Amino acid sequence: MESVNAEEFTVEAVERALQQLYYDPDMGKKNVAQKWLTQAQASPQAWHFCWALLRPDKVPEIQFFGASTLHAKIFRHWSDLPTGQLDSLRSQLIAQVGQFASGPKMVLTRLCVALASLVLHVVPETWPTAVPDLLCAFQTGEGVTEADGQARCLALLEILCVLPEELQSCRIAASRRSQLRSALAVEWTSVCSLLQQLLQLADAPCGVRERVMRCVSSWLTLDITLKDSEGLLQSCFAVLKESELFDIAVETIVSIISQPDCQRFADSLLKVVPQVLGLQEQLKKAVRDGDMETSHGICRIAVALGETHCRTLLEQVDHWQGFQALVSMIMSCTGTPGRYPVDETSSSLTLTFWYTLQDEVTSLDAERQTLYLQIYRPVYFQLVDVLLQKACFPRDEDYATWSADDKEQFRTYRVDISDTLMYVYELLGPELLRNLYDKLGTLLTDTTHPSSWQDIEALLFGFQSIAETVDVSYSDVIPGLIGLIPLITANNIQLAETIMFTIGSLAEWLADHSLMLASVLPVVLHGLSNPDLSVSCVSALKRICRECRHDLHLHASDIMAVSQAVLDKEIHKSPQCMWIMQALGFLLSALPSEEILGKLLSLVTPHIQQLEKLANELASSANKLPTIHILGLLSNLFSTFDLNKQSERLEVMRPVQTQPRNNNPVVVVLQQAFPLIQTVLNKWLNEPEVVEAVCAVFEKSLKTLIHDFAPLVTQLCELIGQMFSAYPQASALDLTRQLVHVFGCEKDHFTPITALLELITNITMSIFQLGSRDHPDVVESFMQLHAQVLRRKSELYLSDHLDIKAVFYCGILSFKFPEAPTLKATCLLFTELISHCEDVPAVRELLQDDGKLLLQTLLEAIGGECPSSLAEHYAEVLFSVSRNCPSVLSLWLREALLPPGFPSAHLTAENKEHFCQQILREQASKRRMKDIVKEFALLSRGLEGTEYTASY
Amino acid sequence: MAYQLYRNTTLGNSLQESLDELIQSQQITPQLALQVLLQFDKAINTALANRVRNRVNFRGSLNTYRFCDNVWTFVLNDVEFREVTDLVKVDKVKIVACDGKNTGSNAAE
Repeated sequence: MESVNAEEFTVEAVERALQQLYYDPDMGKKNVAQKWLTQAQASPQAWHFCWALLRPDKVPEIQFFGASTLHAKIFRHWSDLPTGQLDSLRSQLIAQVGQFASGPKMVLTRLCVALASLVLHVVPETWPTAVPDLLCAFQTGEGVTEADGQARCLALLEILCVLPEELQSCRIAASRRSQLRSALAVEWTSVCSLLQQLLQLADAPCGVRERVMRCVSSWLTLDITLKDSEGLLQSCFAVLKESELFDIAVETIVSIISQPDCQRFADSLLKVVPQVLGLQEQLKKAVRDGDMETSHGICRIAVALGETHCRTLLEQVDHWQGFQALVSMIMSCTGTPGRYPVDETSSSLTLTFWYTLQDEVTSLDAERQTLYLQIYRPVYFQLVDVLLQKACFPRDEDYATWSADDKEQFRTYRVDISDTLMYVYELLGPELLRNLYDKLGTLLTDTTHPSSWQDIEALLFGFQSIAETVDVSYSDVIPGLIGLIPLITANNIQLAETIMFTIGSLAEWLADHSLMLASVLPVVLHGLSNPDLSVSCVSALKRICRECRHDLHLHASDIMAVSQAVLDKEIHKSPQCMWIMQALGFLLSALPSEEILGKLLSLVTPHIQQLEKLANELASSANKLPTIHILGLLSNLFSTFDLNKQSERLEVMRPVQTQPRNNNPVVVVLQQAFPLIQTVLNKWLNEPEVVEAVCAVFEKSLKTLIHDFAPLVTQLCELIGQMFSAYPQASALDLTRQLVHVFGCEKDHFTPITALLELITNITMSIFQLGSRDHPDVVESFMQLHAQVLRRKSELYLSDHLDIKAVFYCGILSFKFPEAPTLKATCLLFTELISHCEDVPAVRELLQDDGKLLLQTLLEAIGGECPSSLAEHYAEVLFSVSRNCPSVLSLWLREALLPPGFPSAHLTAENKEHFCQQILREQASKRRMKDIVKEFALLSRGLEGTEYTASY
Repeated sequence: MAYQLYRNTTLGNSLQESLDELIQSQQITPQLALQVLLQFDKAINTALANRVRNRVNFRGSLNTYRFCDNVWTFVLNDVEFREVTDLVKVDKVKIVACDGKNTGSNAAE
């Protein structure tokens, strides 16, 4: 087709191209045909050949292209239509719709869309009576001679259905859209009456009525009101009796009553209530017969009404019985018999309704609230019972047959129930906990009727849901509950897990009632040896140690002994072992100071000995993981071992500590272990995971020790230097950044830190020389490190040994990286660097010499080389230039932008000048600068002004 | 109603970058790109509503709040985030929240 030119856009040529598009095995030819057909559609000849393609003797593919072309012409090239041609186009199009009324469906739909598109061009000015005319033409058959009554009816419904859809999808100005919407909405009365008639016709085929309801959903987007659709809605309710139309009827009813605007028509809404209530018999039957689809559908309708119009209905005081009946109906949906999601799927739909109702009741004025609460408190107590029933695990033998997917759905369902209970507590208060407590007490003490583990679990689950987030200190039943816990025979994993989670959720309460610790700790410590309870039990221990560490002195030995034993026996997986160490960190740091070191050493010594053993073995993949594991145990222990917190608690009034405390136990351990760590490192220098694990040990302890870390600084600087010289890794740079952060301003540590900074800067330079592209993480950490240095201690930049120029050029190179975090860090470095152009002479000189290069690079990035989502970070750099060196900015910017086509071919000289003026004017608002840069970035990419980028 | 706030996530940003490239190389139109983004909005809203039940509790002191165009914004100071096993402290947090229910959607533009 390559040689085809515009003269040859004929019917035959189009047919040949279509043949190629559909049937040619060669993809290349298909693509050429596709391109040519697009051109053909855009050509003026298309207005003519489209009709020929629609002739009855053509195959559907060709007819479809004819219809598509017609739509494309009307939709995109409307202005090409010769004046005076509208009438004939319209009548021809209507006739064609009639012709294709009986199919093929795909051609009919395209023609209807084309007709809809035409209507939207001419309504309301040129053809104000478009909708009534179409209704008339298709009802009487005038001008639509080819089709019989039913086919005409279906075609008309198709047109009515696509009309609002076409309005939604066409790209027109908002004012025109709202004008069209109102023009169409006016026609709703006549459309509605036709639709209602069709729906009520006893002998109307299913297909017709189905399309009627699709039509209704489509017209709802025009903001038609409930008041004007009452009759139609009623007819939809009648259709619910017919099983084949049930789903679409539910969809339609839900769409109508979910319109928020309905609330303006309270009278109409009140008429809907009895209709919904009238579905209860059908609902009951469906539940009885296990017909999940029907019960789900009816439940959706009830919930849609209740949820959307809760406030309106609640305020109709004269009709309170109706609303209460609706509430009861929704309650019965919540309590649908059977297990979610295996036997029923309705109950989960209702949960949001209960939030809504609660919100509405509690936002009433005080007087009405009191009144309503009298009615609704009992309802919510009933809801709690229902929800706990629904949250019950099924019998063991049933649960075993559930699929993994069902189990996961049940889990999320229980979380939803848990959230609902937590919210309901706001309404019912401590009485709710008492109610749960009484029930649990009865279950556990009733010896005549042994209770199932499922019932006990559900009640504890209720407790835990509330205690997890709500402050339960006002409740007087918690001591009783804690007393009951040891009475429970936890013969089932789910029950045992819930017990552990419940204890964990009470940790904060226990911190205020430390006497009760003695009752629950044995339960937790006993569970610790069971690998099936790993997550729940270890998390309960960690929460208790975190919240109650100051009251655990008496239990410390027990906790230590059990924890050490389970660590030795390797009962838990690695992440849970880390949690145990965190728990012990909390515990140890709160012990009396004379006990800490001894206990700490007894805890870490076995692990250090093990590490020593591993370090003496030949390095292999078999001992790498254990090495990382032990290093992880140490870093997790140190991450929570915080003596500073201890002194906060004792309320010792002392100034912020900047002097190291002598003999901090962690420092003692680290000093002892330092040679060993060095040995480990030497062995694993090329293994990033091990290096990371070593760095983590120091990083975590540095974070908690802060100034106490001082005795280790010199040693650590040397170690990092060796580590980085042998194999440069990001984790070493991050650790250095921490050191700069804490000790950068301290004279005593100035020398080792400066030496380290110089060393790693030189090494990183050599990485850049050799090709840094493979190390975006190292580059990112390097940029962050220097940004930190500039922020904390810019004096380091006064050193003669630090090659600032090289850092600058590395930054320029980093702008070419595709990794977003690296780019962000680079922007951060330059933002900081420029802010020091006054106080650091070297920076000033550098910017004078190479500021233009920076600007050029930045403009390239903004102009298309880097992701536009990072535009705001480049804006920060520009803003910093604008703030700190405005005089040179103007010069650099204009010079840099001078070459045509720089930074993007999409930009005109005016665009660039406008950008320059905006940038130079902006010295006050960072936000404004971001907007300017964002706009310029879109302009450079040719993306400006499209709806696609509107939300950028 | 699908909110667009998840476009500013790693996943959303990556998608937009890819779409930008496709538009620039004229492989797709901005209209199609918009449709893809709208589909993304729908999918991520549904997935986060239906498939995620992780719960994080937090407390802090409320510095500022506002409710504008159906979007809640809270600025909190000294916030403690608690997941079951972890506790994270942050000096300042901004929370942007939209109504998770469907009823607030409005066809008006």
